[in-house]
Amino acid sequence: MAVGTAPRTPAAPLAGALGTRLRRFTEIAREVLRNPTTLIGAALIVGMIGMAIFAPLLIEPNTPNPYQMPRDWGALNEPPGTPGHFLGTTQQGGDVLYGVIWGARTSLRLSIIVVSITVVIGLIVGSLAGFLGGKIDELLMRLVDVFLSIPELIFALAIAAVLGPSFGNIILALAAVFWVKYARIIRGQVIHIKQNEYVDAARVIGDSDLRIYMKDVLPNSITPVVVQATLDMGNVVLIGATLSFIGLAEAGLAEWGVLVSQGQAGISAGRWWASTFPGLMVFLWALAFNLVGDGLRDILDPRTESKR
Amino acid sequence: MTVAPAPEPAVGTAGTVASVVDLKVHFESKAGRVHAVDGVNFDIRDGETLGLVGETGCGKTVTARSFLRLVPMPPGIHAGGSVLFRPHVRCSHCSGSGCEECEGTGRQPVECTVCAGAGCAACDHSGFETIDLSHISERELRGIRGDRIAMIFQDPAKALNPALTVRDQIAEVFAQHRTSEVLERAALGTSRNPLLRRYVSQKSRLFEKALLAVPPLRSRRQRIEKVFDDMVAAALAETQIPNPSKVMQRYPHELSGGMKQRVMIAQALACNPDLLIADEPTTALDVTVQARIIELIKELKGVHKSAVLYISHDLSLVRRVCDRVAVMYAGRVVEIGPTEEIFANPLHPYTRGLIAAIPSRANDRGQLVAIRGTVPELIDPPPSCRFVQRCSFAVSICAQIDPELETGPDRHAVACFIHNPPEGAAEVPSFSKPTS
Repeated sequence: MAVGTAPRTPAAPLAGALGTRLRRFTEIAREVLRNPTTLIGAALIVGMIGMAIFAPLLIEPNTPNPYQMPRDWGALNEPPGTPGHFLGTTQQGGDVLYGVIWGARTSLRLSIIVVSITVVIGLIVGSLAGFLGGKIDELLMRLVDVFLSIPELIFALAIAAVLGPSFGNIILALAAVFWVKYARIIRGQVIHIKQNEYVDAARVIGDSDLRIYMKDVLPNSITPVVVQATLDMGNVVLIGATLSFIGLAEAGLAEWGVLVSQGQAGISAGRWWASTFPGLMVFLWALAFNLVGDGLRDILDPRTESKR
Repeated sequence: MTVAPAPEPAVGTAGTVASVVDLKVHFESKAGRVHAVDGVNFDIRDGETLGLVGETGCGKTVTARSFLRLVPMPPGIHAGGSVLFRPHVRCSHCSGSGCEECEGTGRQPVECTVCAGAGCAACDHSGFETIDLSHISERELRGIRGDRIAMIFQDPAKALNPALTVRDQIAEVFAQHRTSEVLERAALGTSRNPLLRRYVSQKSRLFEKALLAVPPLRSRRQRIEKVFDDMVAAALAETQIPNPSKVMQRYPHELSGGMKQRVMIAQALACNPDLLIADEPTTALDVTVQARIIELIKELKGVHKSAVLYISHDLSLVRRVCDRVAVMYAGRVVEIGPTEEIFANPLHPYTRGLIAAIPSRANDRGQLVAIRGTVPELIDPPPSCRFVQRCSFAVSICAQIDPELETGPDRHAVACFIHNPPEGAAEVPSFSKPTS
């Protein structure tokens, strides 16, 4: 966050609130790009998300369902470089390149859905608990404790196993696991923020509780959630790939975990490509979001500010 | 303890803007009930500055926060009494400039609607509309907060929301309390458009904002924004902030401590309140800024003619700022009177001790006077004078009966048996007879 001495273009009178907001946003963006590791992460994210969004342009979508791997029964276990199959094929004739590209789309879909569901649930539960306090707080947080006492992966596995193997159920399972973290973070933040004198000051000028929550408490509590959400964009894909690797997604889905699991049988026979490329993608995806998440944490956390 | 407020002879039409009547605020703790404020009585008159002094933990901040019900409950308990407030309107004789009718305060109280000025229980026999701040609904209270009663906090760095610009924080007050004025100034006074009304009170939802971003509403929205900008700039200019239209686009962390306190003051005085509560407004500032802020508060009080409740532990400051002083000790008011009277002729042994403890040239170099002993525990206190363990003049009766706040000469009231001995007491304390 640049200090007050930074040159300031005089904001147009109307730009007012929007202008100052924009100013703050560009400040953060500039900080993010100053750090080389964060920059690498950001570049990777832009690249992979670009790949996900433009997947239909990069490679012909499979019909009728583009999220299913196309099968080329005439070319099983072809190595990379085969004409028409740039990264080779799996033992069932699936094109690895297609899986890598459309897998990005599957992963993006997975992480965005899961993260937005969990952030919203966590925000609601955590805010209710923190802002209202008392018995509601007690009740909600014990519920959160129950969820936290079971290991993430095992819990997600159990849910997905009960609901049956499908990609939709993986989304559900991950959402059921990940929201607790946000509820905890938000509750802690809200309790901390609502003790601030500016909350009293807002009460003194006649603001209602809801308004105080929306204008004073929430905006000042949200930054750790932004950081956690960025990190989870990577983590969700990691755990999602694990679940599909052990067979909880539909067979033949264009998904990195599914591809890795299909290819692993051939590794000992020297057919490394079917597992390596999607595995690398999972690694890069998780790495990229972790790099950016860490960078964001450094920038948004006032305690680390003095270091720069 | 049934302490009736000392009957005050009526003075002109200007009365009391607020009265604290036997206020008791307790806190539940594991060790027992802490009687933080235990039967406090005082009045704040129109246009005066009343200083509330006392050491840390004597209940002065809790008393002040009770005006706006800011004491968190639980653990706080409203254990009795009330804070009465009489809202004022602009004086009809001088329209706010100050005249004889309103004794220069530029305001006059509103006639009681129940008894039409005859005096009834609802208005505490004053004949003027009286609001019991301790018992009205949260909704009614919200209408008073920031509009009729405002407050300045100790540390301006903590009292401003870091996520909002200065403009947004001050505009908030206008959005809450001056909706129709904003509409009028934007030449939309007759507009029935609920979208605009909601926009002015800043209740617009996202889709409403989207509607307001397209013509023809766009230009009206811009007019409203302009009015907000002007009102905020005017409020800031009053506190002598240089270049207010630039300062208001800044976030609090971009301002210095003195500037932040000026922003707080601008926000507090934005709606021209009848009563301003200043809770140690200069404690967190350095000394040079402190002097300027004090001057500013005095000057703005001259302009706005609001009554001020000034809380401080700094006696020399209080002497410079206040018209009257109330001294608090262990949850009680022990002495109240005009500032000069208190400093020239302190009646309570505690007040005497406090004044003697102000460092002055009369003391030897390197010598600081202190009151011996420590403040008593406020957990379930016995019915005795709270100061008895530290008082050099205490006799047996002081440990048996609790002295009441009684009016002495010059409407200078004190709660001490030295001045108001109980009838039939065997032994009476006196300043001429130190007992320890």
